[in-house]
Amino acid sequence: MSLQRAVIPPPLPALDAGRSFDQPTSMLVRGGDFLFVAGLTALDPKTGARVRGTTAGETDQILANLKQMLEAAGSSLDKVVKVNVLLHSMLEAPNMNEIFARYFADPPPARTVCGARLPDGVKVIIDCTALA
Amino acid sequence: MAEKLTRSVIQPKNPVLNMSRRANLPHVPGIRIGDYIFLSGMGPVDPETGERRHGPIAEQVRITLTNVRHMLESAGSSLDRVVRVHVVLADMADIAEMDRVYREFFPVDPPARTAWSMQLRFGNGCEIECVALAS
Repeated sequence: MSLQRAVIPPPLPALDAGRSFDQPTSMLVRGGDFLFVAGLTALDPKTGARVRGTTAGETDQILANLKQMLEAAGSSLDKVVKVNVLLHSMLEAPNMNEIFARYFADPPPARTVCGARLPDGVKVIIDCTALA
Repeated sequence: MAEKLTRSVIQPKNPVLNMSRRANLPHVPGIRIGDYIFLSGMGPVDPETGERRHGPIAEQVRITLTNVRHMLESAGSSLDRVVRVHVVLADMADIAEMDRVYREFFPVDPPARTAWSMQLRFGNGCEIECVALAS
């Protein structure tokens, strides 16, 4: 029997960046026993507008939203297995880390951090894979 | 106790698209673990000549995603079984054009995607990697 694939809508429409910014992505896709979360940018969960802040501020907003999305899908931050963090500047990595450590209990997930050019002037993008 | 997952290498039916073998790179085109398929990053390679095609970004994305589809179908999967995609562009200014072509390949219930820009090898304008489920 083949593994089940299902698109899971975010718990709040404001967190559906794919829909609100007309991007060809689902925010969460379940595949078998895993949840695949799209690259998240900092969005206000009430209005869906971009939160433009510091690297730390955007990281905080993204991880708060991620927590909410995972929990609504029956998962949680402590079920995350792998995280990819994209930063507009690698010099900001310590600022991101300080916030990151507040969200993930010990031991935290496997992670890669990369400095890259990001769309729409955002400072941080985070995607992850979690156990469903 | 869960059963032990089997690991196997994915090869494209069209050997021209086995770039890692042709360029003697230390990776394989993809790995299947149980019913999960992990493909290596793929670029715009002409499936007939094996040459990299560095034309307009729309063409590069179309060639790349056509090759991704071939790789998935070679592995007993398909585009509609993709769960995660990473799109890397050499130039962030190409994102709208990339999106336009991307939609042709993922018209409904698209995979979870992350797109960004960084330096790419060989002069490629895009590279795309994905995780999919076997059919």
